[in-house]
Amino acid sequence: MTWKVAKKEIVSNLLSYKFFIVILLTAILIFTSFFIMHRDYKSRLADYQLIKPKPTEPIAVIPPNPLSIFSKGLEEFMTRSFEISVVQIAARSGMKSGNLLFSYFPVPDFLYIVRVVLSLVALLFGFDQVSREKERGTLKLMLSNSLSRAKTLIGKWIGNFLCLSIPFLLITLLGVVFLNLDPDTRFSSGHIVRLAIIVILSLIYIAFFLSLGILISTLTRRAAASIVILLFIWAILVFIIPNLGTLLARQMVDVPSVKALSEKRQQTWTREVLLGEEDRRKGESSWEAHYKAIYSDMDKKEENYRNKFNSLVRLSKNINRISPVASFVYAVTEIAGTGVGEESRLKSAVVNYKNSIFSQIISTRMGKAGKEYPTFAYRYRALSQIFSEGALFDMVWLIFFNILFFALSYFAFVKYDVR
Amino acid sequence: MSGEKMLRTIIKKEILNNIFSFRFLVAFLLLMIIVTITVVILTDDYLRRIDEYSLRQGEIENYMRNYAHFNRINPILTPSQPPLPFYSLIRKISPDDYITENVFQEFNSDPLPIMFPLIDFVFIVTILLSLIALLFSYDSICGEKEDGTLRLMLSNKLSKAKIILGKIIGGTLTLFLPFLFSLLIGLLIIHLNPRVSWKGANWGAFGLILLGSILYFSFFYCLGIFISSRHRSSSSSIMTSLFVWVILILLIPNLSPYLASFLSPTPSKIKVERDVERITMDERDELMRKMWREKQAELYKQYPILDENKNLTQAEQARKAVEDPAYKKAYQILSDQFKIIVAEANRIQGEKVRGMRTELDRKEESQMLLSLGISMISPLADFTYLATDLSSTGLRNMIHFQRIVGEWRQLFSDYSEKKRAAIEKENPAVDSWNVAVDMSDRPRFQYKEEALAGRFKWTLPFFAVLIIYNLIFFTAAFFSFIKYDVR
Repeated sequence: MTWKVAKKEIVSNLLSYKFFIVILLTAILIFTSFFIMHRDYKSRLADYQLIKPKPTEPIAVIPPNPLSIFSKGLEEFMTRSFEISVVQIAARSGMKSGNLLFSYFPVPDFLYIVRVVLSLVALLFGFDQVSREKERGTLKLMLSNSLSRAKTLIGKWIGNFLCLSIPFLLITLLGVVFLNLDPDTRFSSGHIVRLAIIVILSLIYIAFFLSLGILISTLTRRAAASIVILLFIWAILVFIIPNLGTLLARQMVDVPSVKALSEKRQQTWTREVLLGEEDRRKGESSWEAHYKAIYSDMDKKEENYRNKFNSLVRLSKNINRISPVASFVYAVTEIAGTGVGEESRLKSAVVNYKNSIFSQIISTRMGKAGKEYPTFAYRYRALSQIFSEGALFDMVWLIFFNILFFALSYFAFVKYDVR
Repeated sequence: MSGEKMLRTIIKKEILNNIFSFRFLVAFLLLMIIVTITVVILTDDYLRRIDEYSLRQGEIENYMRNYAHFNRINPILTPSQPPLPFYSLIRKISPDDYITENVFQEFNSDPLPIMFPLIDFVFIVTILLSLIALLFSYDSICGEKEDGTLRLMLSNKLSKAKIILGKIIGGTLTLFLPFLFSLLIGLLIIHLNPRVSWKGANWGAFGLILLGSILYFSFFYCLGIFISSRHRSSSSSIMTSLFVWVILILLIPNLSPYLASFLSPTPSKIKVERDVERITMDERDELMRKMWREKQAELYKQYPILDENKNLTQAEQARKAVEDPAYKKAYQILSDQFKIIVAEANRIQGEKVRGMRTELDRKEESQMLLSLGISMISPLADFTYLATDLSSTGLRNMIHFQRIVGEWRQLFSDYSEKKRAAIEKENPAVDSWNVAVDMSDRPRFQYKEEALAGRFKWTLPFFAVLIIYNLIFFTAAFFSFIKYDVR
């Protein structure tokens, strides 16, 4: 019986104008996004070939991550060229200061499309499920048979979810197959597994919005009212909570701005150089001591900043998790290897690299040693580690939201006045 | 009833119809809550930034009192953008994040804004207000058709033109009200804060931004009515509306910089920067050594006395120059020549670097202009540019900032030359670059916002596009309603 309701939902959806628009939109967006992000990835790959360090250069650069096509996240930050100098790590950024309009609008990657557009689409599938059938009077007819309300609701949910997810899966699959045709982006099996998890997460995410849609639909008498409420809830969940949460966390944790940090470092370094010059004039050679002074001061500032920043990240993550959208974004970016956690881990690896070659850099600078450095290598975290460091929590949290909202819509529907 | 009176009646009906509707209430509450929260948080953040800014300036002053010396002074005195009063409403890009004079780019970064960009007034207008406009207009024609009221209305002596005019005017008027009201609350919060003071130009800019938001809003309202009058049922009208909304708001602006970067690529910035460093450091030293060796050989031939003493250390040579007048003359020529060669090597390499940099800048600029042009298709981008440039938080301010930094840098380099000349005159033996100097009389960088007229002129094209869109969709809505089958 449940299946029959689901089948009816599918058939009525397939023939609707709504379904047509939604499929068109999903296809346009996903294909354009894959195309654009793929070209972007390839141009970054070409850049990487140009800037790959020689053994005589103490530079840490990692190649671009193919999963950044789907979730760009902090990829721009991670693929900077970290150049170790005698006093500190200089990070040359690629695109950042070029075309400023890149920073005006969010990146149109797969994550963005699922997060913003597919959630909207899922709401469009849910918003009139109950109220429309009531308006038409078909709900009354349906329930006058020996069909339980639970079965009706489950059938509706399954039918709509299938209508949403199957075209989405097919379009995504087709896109990935096309991407895979390019020899430069051939994904390894590890990438495919990660991608599969990202797609599963997207389905859970979409399911949440479908349940939310059905819930609001049962709580309102008219479909027109339901869509208004839903769109506002959507705006709050997708945009407002995650964005204001970050700003709110900033009010609570006092993190110095990057500019302030950079000015302080500059002051330390020029001061020590001046003192060194004065020593030289007096006939003392104390460069090594001055370099060490700069180095330890920078390290202290660096550590201090990173500690504060990490607590800011923790706090803002927890505030933002009020909205399942934030959980979704965190989980997907971490799994793709472009998230906040991965970026901070990469930075630690760069700092370790610097520490390991630092004495050699000073000796080279003083003309005492050769000029070959060990190459920098970075391994992304394994999936198990990503899951234990927060992604699992985010996933469970998303599932919890799903169950909660489905249960709420069930209770609302049981009490619903079908007249 | 006369025509004018009839029009007024319809506007009144539209207003009342909207005000007492459920969605009006929801929109009103939503806007009020979000505007208030945003303004409170942003104002708080603005005040924190002011505090940090003055702290940083104090530290620079402190440093300058103790360690000021001309070598490497530029990175210490890097100009920085002071927080602007408008930051409690609008934030987009700040020169501090992009223009860095530092030898070292910062290793630490702040990636949080990338994950979730900030919410400000521009976001509220571009996303929420456009959504509200569509939500109120998607059923204004086909909804009335479905209810049957459209037929009743037209059975009177009422022209279709009047109805559509009344709908658009009445709708825009009422729907703009909740926005204005919530904005008023926001402005009150800003105004009541004793530490935030807006000047006349700020209010002027704000008035223009408000005008822009009215245009933006009425565009979406006309668009909604146009779509509504192309549909028979309101449930398909909302689908088309949201489809168009997603394409205009969420797709075109985001794609434009990427599209432009394929159409007009720029060379790898990292590569250019590394090349610049190589050319101005190692390669320059190499060139200098080579030129110096040649010159030395030439001079040694010319002045045998130099050749005889070439194995002395630098200090011994300097001492000998004081004692031996014959050697002094040749030594003077030698050291003068050295200075000329250093300057020449710097000039040659500087020329190369300038060439590379100009090329990069030119390419980046043309790419930026291209993405600007592409994104102007989307009204969201137009409004964003208009609001950020008028409030000095956008591209225009970046250009302006760079210009005044250039002026200040010229002043400072004149000052630096004069000061160093004075030091050398006082004591020729001293290295004027690497000695502590009292620079309390230096010209200080002072940021001044660009005059409102200049900013307004720059934003005219964005206004123009919005006005054209308004006209097009108003006409389209008008004519498709005239042809609408009301049955």
